Amino acid sequence: MKKSKPATLTRRKLITRAGALGGILLTGCDSDLYTPPKIRGGLMGVADVLTMSTQRFLMAGQAPVQEHDISEITKNFPVWNQSNPDDDEYQRLRQGGFTEWCLPVEGLVNRPVTLSLEDLKRFPQQTQITSHICEQGWSAIAQWTGAPLLQVLEAAGGVKPEARYVVIDAYGGWYEGYDMFDVVHPQTILAYGMNGKDLPQGNGAPVRLRVERHCGYKQLKFIKSIQVVSSMEGFGRGTGGLNSDFDFHWYAGA
Amino acid sequence: MIFLQFPELYWGKVGFQGHPAVFRLSDWGLSWDEADALGDRRWGRNYHYLFAWVFVFNGIAYLGWNFWQKKFYKKMFPSREELRLEHIKTDILNHLHFRTSNTESARSYNSLQKISYVIVLFVLFPFMLLSGFAQMPAFTAISPELIDLFGGRQTARTLHVVCTLLLVLFVIIHLIEVFVAGAMNQIRSMITGKYALPSERDE
Repeated sequence: MKKSKPATLTRRKLITRAGALGGILLTGCDSDLYTPPKIRGGLMGVADVLTMSTQRFLMAGQAPVQEHDISEITKNFPVWNQSNPDDDEYQRLRQGGFTEWCLPVEGLVNRPVTLSLEDLKRFPQQTQITSHICEQGWSAIAQWTGAPLLQVLEAAGGVKPEARYVVIDAYGGWYEGYDMFDVVHPQTILAYGMNGKDLPQGNGAPVRLRVERHCGYKQLKFIKSIQVVSSMEGFGRGTGGLNSDFDFHWYAGA
Repeated sequence: MIFLQFPELYWGKVGFQGHPAVFRLSDWGLSWDEADALGDRRWGRNYHYLFAWVFVFNGIAYLGWNFWQKKFYKKMFPSREELRLEHIKTDILNHLHFRTSNTESARSYNSLQKISYVIVLFVLFPFMLLSGFAQMPAFTAISPELIDLFGGRQTARTLHVVCTLLLVLFVIIHLIEVFVAGAMNQIRSMITGKYALPSERDE
């Protein structure tokens, strides 16, 4: 696969902007690190915050997740839930082999951009063989290849100081918000490859998110757009994602 | 409720529908759809973690208090004498014949009680927590070693369920024994500390 640098992003720019993004994380988001966008009422909210803050505390060093040997890759990785969104635009793109698919990166970024699949493949590649863990109980191992989300945001000029969440929309109506703690993790990638091939239809073609350290329901498939926001208010019920709108815990590390 | 959403158990690092299973509820007459209809997995998960925290805080309070008061040493850890096979055999026979003690010894735990309480408190309870941790996605970053120790998260999940069944079994036997030994007397003694021996009750 291609290894050339993306046209819009030189190494020098990357370094200067990585510093800016790091600064935001240190100043604005300390308490967010331990709480979901909207804390549920009663004891349930207390338990949510306890779980999230304990785990975030233990993960503060941003250690990578466990990787597996290539021989451990699951041969027939399950296709779960949505496998082909019933969406006119998606179907049109799919029939065109996703050559016309494009990803707007907007909101609280310094220079909004729209990336094609080819653009995405020109970012430094991150490949990882990890466990996909469904909250229902099943798990399977696959190799994922993609562009680090952090670098995609850098390509959009980095995020503004008030940025707190990255909201990803998907074809089929799903959306999910991620806080900066997960965004900066080196294994958080926009994955376009699975087990050395293009991402299959059932697993979220053309691009899905891999946000390791979370259950399967945070690994959004069929990605449509990315926007950076300061608050999850105004998205659905304001809980931070469609799953949590449906009463799942927004934080899915447990 | 959570188990009903995915009523199969596996061994090793991976497991999913179609993967060789060590237990399948569908083999026991309950199909996937029927099992699914019995539970709500969103609230199943929410309550699971809520009560996991209750379990943790209750456990800290209980263990802390009893270690501080040295009650484990005085009352619960079996003596060398009580761990002798002869002694345990007598106690097993007493239990099988539902022979309860009428004498001063009824005020303390017998050897079988002591052994089962120690297993529940210091083996099953910690095992429950650790096998739970080993299933969490966050622990693939926090402590992959723990997952490997179990031999993979699916093994941890299966053992988590086995451990649950053992604890349920313990509760059932415990409750039966309480009734055999006289429920009202036992409960009063738990709350007030006053335990009446049968000889006293007859007076």
